[in-house]
Formats: sequence, C-alpha cells, structure tokens
Amino acid sequence: MYLKILFGIIFGYVTIEIEGYFIERFMNLCNNQRIFLWNLKRTHSTRMLVNIGMNDFKKLKPIARKTKCRVKIQEKKGVPHLLHRYQKRKLFFLLALIIFLSILLLSNFIWNIEITGNENIPTQEIQKLLEENNFKIGKCKIGIKTKEVTEQVRLERNDIAWIGIEIKGTNAIVKIVEANLKPEIIPEDEYCNIIATKDAMIVKISAQNGTSVVKEGDIVTKGSILIGGWLEGKYTGTRYVHANGEVQAKVWYSEKAQVPLNQIKKAKTGAKENKYSVKINNFEINLSKRLSKFQKYDTIDTSKKLKLFSDFYLPIEIHQRTFEEYEEQEILYTAEEAKNIAIQEAKQKLDEKIQEKQSVINEKFYTKQTAQGVEVEVIYEVLETISTKEKIVF
Amino acid sequence: MRNKKKNSKTLSKVNRLLEIPQEVSSNIPKLTIIGFEKMLIENYKAILEYQEFYIRISTYIGILNINGFQLNLNEMTTDDLLITGKIEGIDFEAITDE
Repeated sequence: MYLKILFGIIFGYVTIEIEGYFIERFMNLCNNQRIFLWNLKRTHSTRMLVNIGMNDFKKLKPIARKTKCRVKIQEKKGVPHLLHRYQKRKLFFLLALIIFLSILLLSNFIWNIEITGNENIPTQEIQKLLEENNFKIGKCKIGIKTKEVTEQVRLERNDIAWIGIEIKGTNAIVKIVEANLKPEIIPEDEYCNIIATKDAMIVKISAQNGTSVVKEGDIVTKGSILIGGWLEGKYTGTRYVHANGEVQAKVWYSEKAQVPLNQIKKAKTGAKENKYSVKINNFEINLSKRLSKFQKYDTIDTSKKLKLFSDFYLPIEIHQRTFEEYEEQEILYTAEEAKNIAIQEAKQKLDEKIQEKQSVINEKFYTKQTAQGVEVEVIYEVLETISTKEKIVF
Repeated sequence: MRNKKKNSKTLSKVNRLLEIPQEVSSNIPKLTIIGFEKMLIENYKAILEYQEFYIRISTYIGILNINGFQLNLNEMTTDDLLITGKIEGIDFEAITDE
C-alpha cells in the first residue's frame, strides 16, 4: 500500500472532492474497478475528500456519472505537478544547477593545507617545499599524487623522518615527524678523540682511556682535542685507542641589556574598533573604511577560513582587523631602577639559553652609566660537561 | 448442497494441516486494532455507510459497525481497509443461517 502511495507521489496525484448522496456506492465501485484511494476524509454528510493517482483519475468519470456524484479537483500534488509549477521559473533552476555544479567543482580542489607535527622546522618552509613539488592551495585534487610529493620532500630534507599527506574533503593535512639529528655514535672498536664543544676553562678531567692533552685550569676553544685517542708506551710506541673519559669545565655566558632613563610606554585605553573584510583567494573586499578613527593605535589582524561542513573549506576568508587605541606615557627612571630592570632583562635572556639552572656557579654584573641610560652586562659561570667524541681520520 | 458443505470441510482440514492462515484460506475478515486510533480490516466486502462518526462495513460473515470521531479511511484497496481516528466502539451483526 505504501508502494502505491509512493507511485502516486512519483507519477502525480490529485486531491478531489466528491459531492453527492451515494458516496458509499461510489467508493465500492472504485474498489470493484481496483482503483486505489487513500486519505479519505468525510467533511460533510454529502462531501468527501479523496486522494487518487493521476492514472486512475480518468477512470472516475463513468463512476461519477453512475452514482450522480460531482468530482472537483482540489489540489494537484506529486513530482510532475511540482515540475509543471516551476516550469516558468527557469532562472531558479539554472541557478540551482550552477550552485550544484560549483559545489561539485570546488570540492575537487584543495583549499586549506594544515601542517602538523613540526617543532623545529618552520611551517612556512614546509609550505614552500610543498609548493615547489606542486602541492599548494588551489590545486586540483585529482592531479595530485601524494606519494610522489612526500617522496620528493623526504629526499630534499634530511630532518624530516616521515611525512604524510591526508586529503579530507578540501582540506589537506600534512603530518610531519621530525628526525632529531643525533650525534654520530662511534662503535667501540674504532679510534676516536674527545673534543670540546664550547669555549671553556677545564675544571676536572679524567681520562679512562687515552691520553689527556689538557690540564685543569687550561682554557680551550671549541673543537680542540681534550683527550687524545692514543697511548704512548716506552716499548710499544704509539697505539691508537677508543678514547673515553669525562671533562667538566666552566663556561661563560654573557648577555647585555640597555635601559634608557626616560621611556615612552604604551598604555591601552581599552577602546577598540573592528573592521571586517572578505578575502577571496588574493582579492580583498573591504566592508568598511580601512582607516581608524584613533590617533595612535595597534592593529591586530586575524583571519578565519569559511568551511561548509567539518572538512569542506571554501576559498573565502573573513578578515578581521582590530584597532586598539593606546596612549603614550613618559616614564622617568632613576639610575638604580634602570639598572634593576636591565639586570632582569639580561637574566631572562640568559635563562632561556641555559637549560640546567642548578649548575650555575657564579653571577657577575657590570654596569655602565651613559647619558641616555644604563648599560648592564651579566655573566654567568656554568659548570658543564663539554666533551663529545670525534673519529680519528688517518 | 450437502456435498458442497462436505467439500469445504475437507478443504479446511487440509488448510489446518498446512497451517495456512485463516484469513487467506477463507473469507473470514481479520480485524487488527492498534491502540484506540488505528484499525485494519482485511477481507471486507463493501462499505455500506461512511460518516465522520460512523462506519458500516459489510463482510462475508456479517456487518461491522464502528463508532468514533474524525474517522478517516487512510488506505482503501479491494481487500484491506485502514481506519484512523478516535474509535469508540465496535459491534457486529452476524448473519444467522436459516
């Protein structure tokens, strides 16, 4: 029965009103002639609403005449009638078709490249690398062979251990696993020296194997040999070995900072202004005037890509430009204050350089007063092991 | 007449043996009521009267009366009839053999 109703919808059906005194007879006659009726509704003692398929509607005429009923079409429904109604609206259909085609077409391009997993390699560099290998925003999805691109990138870069490109809708996710370049491990049975990695002053040197070349208190430069990979005997002569040992040395780190006595500082007033623009690929449409009403301001740009569903990125960006007003304030420091600020600045810079804070032995400050401000140099003395192995090349 | 009755008796025996549903093997109507608002009648003969509050249906074994409100005939084919609406009461008028 549902199938019959479905057929009715596909081939069209009409809602008709039957008016007469012998409606029951009319229904029974329809039944005998195998005419399918549905949604029969008695609205009045002499009237009834009935749904009937288009094909069966023609058969109703003799029945209606026989039962002396009047048949009136109330509504035409179904696919053929719907199409007929929209026949005049050609532009509507055309635009619907264009939208459908453009979605179909646009979904074949890559509109967004997401690069994840890189820690040391900047994202732009990878983007450039991918672009050189014909993988960029606006490329057709069909022509791209991700395997070839990844292989090319891997060949060009040593520090990428693995790269994978996953295309999801119009979004390409590039996953990168960086290879951390480890120092070469020299096998035990090969000869090697121990050399310094930094300029430093030797504090402690203990050679387990090999001959120590430098003494405690010596100042060495980067790359110079600390423990030589040879042994000298009276009778055996010079014999090469795999040097082994530990070297501790003092390393100096210094950082300078300069703080002028009178400074101009920015203070935000809190006033903000947002301006929007729509960016399609490289073409930008401003929705308002670009200039800000503020005299002095910072501009902050943020852009957001539009996407249809979770993965279908469109080549349209909404650009937001925020203007934040600020006021200039002049601050006068005393020499003492300026010095403290400078020391703090320098220390902060040094702390970023040194990983192990507990090995700092000594801190030194040198201050210099100039006409404009205070110049401070902070020197850290750090105890570190500075040895690495290097193969002996004959 | 007697012969015909005997014949139908043997036929019903065969049908029972083969476990054919009664509404298929005979003309006896099957009434299915789902809740108080839906009723499916199979094997009916004709509609005698149809009003919004009252439906009278003739079947091969008698007449079926349905009382209620806003009664609609949702689907109507030669064998089945689906009635929806607020059904209040059903009563039967069986044909008695003389």
